[in-house]
Amino acid sequence: MNRALTGWLDVPRDWIDSFGEVARFGARVAGLVYSGRVLRYFGESVRQAGILIFGSALIIWAFIFILGLQCGVIGAYFNRSIGAPSLAGLFSAYCDLREGLPYAFGYILSAKVGTGIVAELGAMRISDEIDALEVMGIQPVTFLAATRLLGAWIAVPFLYLAGVGVAYFASYLAVVDQVGDVSSGGYLLIFWTYQDFVDILFSLAKGMVMTTVIVLVGCYYGYTASGGPVGVGTATAKSMVVNIIMVHIIGMLGTFAFYGANPRAPIGG
Amino acid sequence: MILTARTLLAAVRPPYPYGEELVGQFLFVLKLSWFPMTISTFALCLGAPGLQAAGILSLFGNLDRLGGFFVVTAVRFIGPIVVAVVVAGVAGTAITADLGARKIREELDALQVLGVDPIKNLVVPRFLALMVITGLLDIFAVVFGMSAGIAAELLYQQPLGGFFSTLFSNALVTDLAASVSMCSMFGAIIAVVCCYKGMTASGGPAGVGRAVNQAVVIALMGVFAFLYIFTTVLLATNPELQAIR
Repeated sequence: MNRALTGWLDVPRDWIDSFGEVARFGARVAGLVYSGRVLRYFGESVRQAGILIFGSALIIWAFIFILGLQCGVIGAYFNRSIGAPSLAGLFSAYCDLREGLPYAFGYILSAKVGTGIVAELGAMRISDEIDALEVMGIQPVTFLAATRLLGAWIAVPFLYLAGVGVAYFASYLAVVDQVGDVSSGGYLLIFWTYQDFVDILFSLAKGMVMTTVIVLVGCYYGYTASGGPVGVGTATAKSMVVNIIMVHIIGMLGTFAFYGANPRAPIGG
Repeated sequence: MILTARTLLAAVRPPYPYGEELVGQFLFVLKLSWFPMTISTFALCLGAPGLQAAGILSLFGNLDRLGGFFVVTAVRFIGPIVVAVVVAGVAGTAITADLGARKIREELDALQVLGVDPIKNLVVPRFLALMVITGLLDIFAVVFGMSAGIAAELLYQQPLGGFFSTLFSNALVTDLAASVSMCSMFGAIIAVVCCYKGMTASGGPAGVGRAVNQAVVIALMGVFAFLYIFTTVLLATNPELQAIR
């Protein structure tokens, strides 16, 4: 039995332990990106962005599509239950754009991209490739972590905005075609009334913060993996724990910051 | 699929050598999951249905309706999702990493040589433990979701009586039973996917990491697809869930 965690309080303690180190590592990587030193490896960043798009885009969109369907179904039946089926657009506008989409994006990104980075970098660390890079005079943190962060920043806004469209389409399918309490025009009228451009920016801001944290956590756990093949697996599993908690906390803080004082709805005073 | 069938067969056919391992796995998953689960449910329920819905409802001036809304979201939707994501992300990855490590070190082959069936002794206890524990965690997720609803109600400085009265008048046993059974199915999906990916890991150090990566992605996709189908069928076939009281 190779069990890293055995006590009841080990998970929170381990999380607090690693939090400071992840933050320091993340600040270092983000500093490398901001100071422009990563631009020496701009080609590698573009390659990472390409890997992100070709490797993960379909999975991300498929996941978001299912979430949109789910939002639509729940919203349609909930609004039928309060006797206002024509207002299904309200529920799906909120569920898709404001809350559901950032969370779904965070889940699938930490599952697909975050653990992928840990597995990749961890394998490099175990087979001493990172040390080899250092010997060759290439800064490993810059070349491996900072390029991935920049690549994610390049690719993710477009992935996210396309995901918004996917979720809208899925909710439309679920509400109008599947449940069918409301006509297409009536749904879309309410749907577009209850959102504006600023909502999209808020949603995108949440998604980008989650992306940054997920990539940094992934790079940290991959970069510091140790203990042979088993160590890579354990590091991958641990990164997932941290990512899940961070995604939820960022989502909640984002809601507090963006909507806590002002519901931003076109009704009332 | 084949692993599912073989797991179910091995679970019911005597002898039952997996009791001790079952308890061990149960405690292991519980120890790993309880902390992320509480934090996640509370944060998600406070943010999404709590503040957003309370914001809308406060414009209408009927914040006491939040209780009824929480039955719909926290019990039917968010509780199961959070349990699935946390168990897949925390316990599922740990299971895949554990089994993958044993596969890489050829311990699984050694077990087979010794005449010990790895499915009966390794997969079945994990399968049963995850099925039971996701159902139990769902109850806790609902409890913490409700406490997040109470927190949201208090943030808007409302008395709690209205929240509780709409909550209890809207809550049905069908909802809770559906939520718990849905979660058990999630546990089954996660366990089978993660065990399969762990037991077929190959390719040295990169292999285990890649197996964990694929396992969690496939498990999440499977869980969400199942969630959608289950919710559709549940809501379409139980019209009594569609009346607000």
